[in-house]
Amino acid sequence: MEAVNPYYSIPVKIKKIIPETSNITTFILDGMPIQFEAGQFAELTVPGVGEAPFTPSSSPHGDDLEFTIMKVGRVTSALFELKEGDQVGVRGPFGKPYPLKEFKGKEIFIVGGGVGFAPLRSLFLALLHNIKDYKKIYIRYGARTPNDIVYKHLIPEWEKIDGVDILLTVDVGDDSWQGKVGVVTVILDEIPVDVASSPAIVCGPPLMMKFVTQRLVEAGFKHSNIYLSMEKNMSCGIGKCNHCRVGKFYVCKDGPVLTWEDVKDIEEPFL
Amino acid sequence: MKLYLLPSDKILDFVAKLSEDGLVFYPVSEDDKTHLVKFDKDKEFEPDFEKVRTAENIKHFLFPSRAVVAKFPKDTAVKAKKQYLFGIKNCDLRGVDIYDRVFLNAEPVDPLYKKKRENTILISADCPEPEDCCFCNLVGLNPYAEAVCDLNFTKIDSGLLFEAFTKKGEKIIDDNSALFKEATKEDEKERSRIRKNAVKKLNKINEKPFKEDLAERLEKVDEKFKHEIREDCVECFACLHACPTCYCFLLSDYKKGKEFERVRTWDVCYYAAYARVGGGANPRSSLDERFWNRFLCKFDYFKAYEGIYSCSGCGRCYRGCSAKIDIREILWKL
Repeated sequence: MEAVNPYYSIPVKIKKIIPETSNITTFILDGMPIQFEAGQFAELTVPGVGEAPFTPSSSPHGDDLEFTIMKVGRVTSALFELKEGDQVGVRGPFGKPYPLKEFKGKEIFIVGGGVGFAPLRSLFLALLHNIKDYKKIYIRYGARTPNDIVYKHLIPEWEKIDGVDILLTVDVGDDSWQGKVGVVTVILDEIPVDVASSPAIVCGPPLMMKFVTQRLVEAGFKHSNIYLSMEKNMSCGIGKCNHCRVGKFYVCKDGPVLTWEDVKDIEEPFL
Repeated sequence: MKLYLLPSDKILDFVAKLSEDGLVFYPVSEDDKTHLVKFDKDKEFEPDFEKVRTAENIKHFLFPSRAVVAKFPKDTAVKAKKQYLFGIKNCDLRGVDIYDRVFLNAEPVDPLYKKKRENTILISADCPEPEDCCFCNLVGLNPYAEAVCDLNFTKIDSGLLFEAFTKKGEKIIDDNSALFKEATKEDEKERSRIRKNAVKKLNKINEKPFKEDLAERLEKVDEKFKHEIREDCVECFACLHACPTCYCFLLSDYKKGKEFERVRTWDVCYYAAYARVGGGANPRSSLDERFWNRFLCKFDYFKAYEGIYSCSGCGRCYRGCSAKIDIREILWKL
C-alpha cells in the first residue's frame, strides 16, 4: 500500500479575510480540511511561495478553519497579498493538543501577548464548548497599543459569558483607552486562581513569554502546569527535518506546547 | 549462519546477473580514493572491495540531495528504480540504519524513502584495512556488517564469502545458486582472521573509547570550550555535507506553470539561518552554538531517542575538513 504523503498540502479557498490590526489579519478558510484539537498546529501554504507553521485560531468544533497571522516574513507577506476566493494549502494537524482532560474541574489561567492570542483563542473556544467542565476561565492579554489588540470585535461578547474573566492591558494607551497601561505582567500582580492546581497557558512574543513565565513561577504555579507555546523554525512538521529541535524536544512533535518543566533547563528556551 | 563462496572467476558473472534486474553500483579506486560507479557490462570491471568506504557517502541513493516530495494541486505517486549497492561498508550501513529509524520506523512514513528503500538491495563488504580517520569501533560498530544489509561478503583469497541477512538476500543467493559454492571451514577461518585483524587495527588507531557518560559531559561544557574547539572552522560545512548520518532537510515550494512542487533539499545545522524564525529570533545565532549543536545532536539527543549515536565513525568529516578538525579529538577531551 502507498504511504499517505505527509508532505502534501490540501488545497482550500480563502472564504473571508478580517484585518485585526495594521499587521495582523484573520484568514477564514472555506471548510475544515483537517480535524485538529486545540493546541495542534498546521503548515499553511501560499501556492508556489512556501509554507509556514501556524496554530489555528478557530474552534476545533467549528465549520471553518481560521488562522490569525502577523505579517513578518516571506510567506506571511505573500499571504497578505491574497484575496478572498484565492487558494492556499493546509497540511496537518501536527503536534500535541492541550491536555483538556487534565484541565477539567479547574480554573484555567490564560495569558497572551500580541498575535499570541491566536492559538489561545482556539483553546478558549474549545473550553467554551464544554464550559461546565471548568471552574472558571481567566484571560489576561496585553498588546502594544489599543489598535494592536486582536479580536476587538469579539472580546466584548466573551466578557459577558458567565464563568469568563478577561483583563486587558496595552504598553502605550491613547485617549480612548480606559483600561490598564503597562506590559502584560502588570495585570499579573494579582492572580485570582488556586496556583497549586490551576494550569496557566501562555503564548506571546519571546520576551513576554520569558517574563510571564518568571512571574507565574514566582506566584507558585507548578512548573508542569505552565504550558508554553514554543515558536521555532519548522520545515517538515513531522519530526524529521530537525529544524525545530530545542534540547531533546522536537517542537513539532513533542510540542508545539511544552511545559516549563520540560524546557526550564534549556538555555534561553524562548529564543 | 550459513556461508556461501562466490569464486573469484564468478564475481563478474554475478554482478552482470544482478544488473539484469536493476542498476548495480560497486566501488572502484582511483588514486587514493574509492567511488561507487555504475556497472556497465561493456566496460572494464575492476572493483576494489578492500579499501575503506567510498569518498562520497551513499545517502543520496536513498535520500537524494534534491527531490520532489509532493505536487499540487494533484499529487503523483513516487517512483524509484531498483538498485544494488554492492560492496558498501558497515559505516554507511549505520547511515541507512539511522534513515530507517527517522523516515521509515517513525510515523509518519516518508513515502519517497520507503519506495527507494524497498527498491534498494544492500550488499556490504567487510572493511579489512581501516585508515587513520576511521573510528567505527568508537560508535558501537565493527568493520564488518552485523545487521541492516541484505547480504554481506568478506573478500578472501579464493573469492567473496557471502552471508545473507534478509529474505531478499537469501533469495539472491538461491536465484544464483549455480554461481556459488558451499563455504569450507577453512573459508570461515580465513574470514575470522581477516575480521580480527581489522578490529585489531581499529583498536590500535582508536585506543581510547568515548566516555560512558558522554551525553552529560556534552551538556556541561562551557562557552570557552565551545569557542576553542571551533576556532579553526572556516564554515565550509564539508563535514556535514559529507556525513552519512546527517539527515536535516528543508522543504521549498517552486512554481511550475499553474501548479507547484514541494522540493526537499539537504540542509545543515551550521547555516546561520537554519533555526531562525520568521520574526527574526534565532536560538543559535553564534557559530559556537551551531558548531556544538552537531555534537549534541549526534552524541546526546539522537542517542536519547534511538539508543545509538548518529555517527558512523567513517571519518569523512575529518577527511573533508579544511581545518582538519577531528571530531574524535573533541570527544576525547570531554
